[in-house]
Amino acid sequence: MTSPTTTVPTSGHQRKLAINRLRDRLATSDSGAVDRFLQRHSAPIIEGRYATFLWRGEAEEVMVRHRVVGLPDPLHLRRLADTDLWHATIELPEGSRVEYQFEVVRGGVREQYLNDPLNPRLAHGPFGSQSVAAASGYVVPSWTLPDPEARPGTIDSISLRSKALRREQWVRLYRPARFREVRRYPLLIVHDGDDYLNYAAAKTVLDNLIHRGEVAPLVAAFIPPGNRLVEYANHAPHARFVARELVPYLTEELPLIDLPDGRCLMGSSFGGVASLSTAVRYPSVFGSLLLQSGSFVFTDIGAEHGGGPVFDPVVKFVNGYRARPRVVADRIYQTCGIYEPLITPNRSMVSTFRDTGMEVRYVEARDGHNWENWRDRLRDALTWIFPGEQKFVYE
Amino acid sequence: MSSTHLLGPQRFLTTAGAVVRSLDIEGPVATITAGWEERESDDGELDTVLDGRSQNLRLFGRMMDVLEHDEAVAAAALALRDAVDDLAGLYSIRLHHALDAVYALRRRKGREDVLAAASRDGIDAVRRLDQWYLDEVRALYSEAYATGAAGSSELWAQHRAEVGELLAGSSVLAVAGGHVGMLLRTMQFFSVRPPVDLPVVAWSAGAMAMTRTVVLFNDFVQSNGAAEVWDRGLARVENVVALPHARRRIHLDDRVRMQVFVRRFEGSACLLLDDGAKVAVGPDGALPPGARVIRADGTVGVVEAAA
Repeated sequence: MTSPTTTVPTSGHQRKLAINRLRDRLATSDSGAVDRFLQRHSAPIIEGRYATFLWRGEAEEVMVRHRVVGLPDPLHLRRLADTDLWHATIELPEGSRVEYQFEVVRGGVREQYLNDPLNPRLAHGPFGSQSVAAASGYVVPSWTLPDPEARPGTIDSISLRSKALRREQWVRLYRPARFREVRRYPLLIVHDGDDYLNYAAAKTVLDNLIHRGEVAPLVAAFIPPGNRLVEYANHAPHARFVARELVPYLTEELPLIDLPDGRCLMGSSFGGVASLSTAVRYPSVFGSLLLQSGSFVFTDIGAEHGGGPVFDPVVKFVNGYRARPRVVADRIYQTCGIYEPLITPNRSMVSTFRDTGMEVRYVEARDGHNWENWRDRLRDALTWIFPGEQKFVYE
Repeated sequence: MSSTHLLGPQRFLTTAGAVVRSLDIEGPVATITAGWEERESDDGELDTVLDGRSQNLRLFGRMMDVLEHDEAVAAAALALRDAVDDLAGLYSIRLHHALDAVYALRRRKGREDVLAAASRDGIDAVRRLDQWYLDEVRALYSEAYATGAAGSSELWAQHRAEVGELLAGSSVLAVAGGHVGMLLRTMQFFSVRPPVDLPVVAWSAGAMAMTRTVVLFNDFVQSNGAAEVWDRGLARVENVVALPHARRRIHLDDRVRMQVFVRRFEGSACLLLDDGAKVAVGPDGALPPGARVIRADGTVGVVEAAA
């Protein structure tokens, strides 16, 4: 946390942070100074490299909760003089995106998971919403937003009877605009499919990037998990379903490129483990893997991995792969947020993958373990894996 | 050889109509808009520009017609496309490594003559790789045509004859831009070879298709930062690499990159075709004075008038 007297450069001269200027004014100002301050500023206040979190209200304790490696968690806010405005300033490097919530103790009662009432910017995920602090330099990529000029693809839900999983498995099937039977399409299979559609704008992203010619028109199969923590943690029936049931079914039913380099398997977090472990079990099926913030927790010494029992099969799998690394695809596009705890294992896996001879492209972003991070990385990943025809088009 | 006019993009600065009128030739203007793919027939605006004289050869529509009605041809075409895509993927891997090596050499410090020799040989390796790829593409085409699918399709033969008749009855051929891969594919599919005495006006991808070596380029998209040779064009214009939208697609201010580019395609002029560009190629294939090219030192210059 920076000192309360931090200044920020503005047009060549140092200027005090807004919160410090308010403190100076409070000595001589009326009781409406805080109201006017909050009307003037959105929260958190972004000034150069600094972000000032604000909370207003009577409380014994106010904290920002987050999962940013390197910042204290909880991050305690301090009361400004004798007002009911609480604040804390941190350095937020350019281009960063941080998701956070408040925790407040009022009247002896601890309230958790509170979004910032002064900040309308929210990110959504399967466990609810979070407030977003976007540093200077971060902008929501235009290709993640609906473009009226982009012809929309279609999504149909189909159901497969899976012998491997012993259940009906839903699949959301994306076909690109201008889908034609006489063409051949690459296939992208997406773990946590509904979450990618709902929280990472996957359909909009595909529509836009295909429309711009940056990504080849492709078919995508978005598969939602059953018991995610089991099925995505190196689970033989799941891998069999993907490689031996889903891929053959789709190849039979749709005009797909029936070659490994026409197929990519992707997922984030545990979905990254599911992708890698499926490719390990069926190494000749997928030409490319897209692994986002893969939960590649491992132990080199001792058995303590800190992830709890759900990580036990993951650690066993990753340890096994690291003991005997091998080619499981031609190419891997791997991403991870710099602020997430998984950054260390992900960095370590890069050389493990590369040393096998696989072509690996690894990208880090100043973001965390969340869906908007994974959304924002899709353009570079997909243009690398399935480049579009843009290089052919000279109007 | 009659005249060939290579033009820059026509979207914001339309010059095609004026160039066709300047030829002062009456009669129909055959047009090829296959690079527009599904929008091939949306050519009303182009027809207006050409004073209502256009006759669209409809190469894309005709090819789709053949592929949709003749399973054997469709299967052969798909197999060829898969094979070319596969080959292009292999070429791309080799090319990126070969070019990385060239740039790594250019960054090195050391004895200049040794470095220059290494750099020259590195670029020669890229040239050999480009040639290998083009030879392999040719071999795949030969293999596909040897299957006999072409000869057995009446529909294909019928379309091919109609295209030939339309072309023979035209006074000028105008080739629009768009998807250069589709443009080449359709022209090859119907064996479009404009007669030597037929004036041609071609822009953007159309201009690329008139050259011998078609090079794909876009320095600003991550996945294909390296220029890639794609296929042979009609070779109506020899010794030219056509570069439409150069300002928007090439790091023209990156001297090292441009030097490598020019050296890689040594023997051909790297012709910039930005908005408004009009280049009348002479009967001997020479570029006219004033045509903008990338020079050997990596800067942009113009072709000087002969002394």
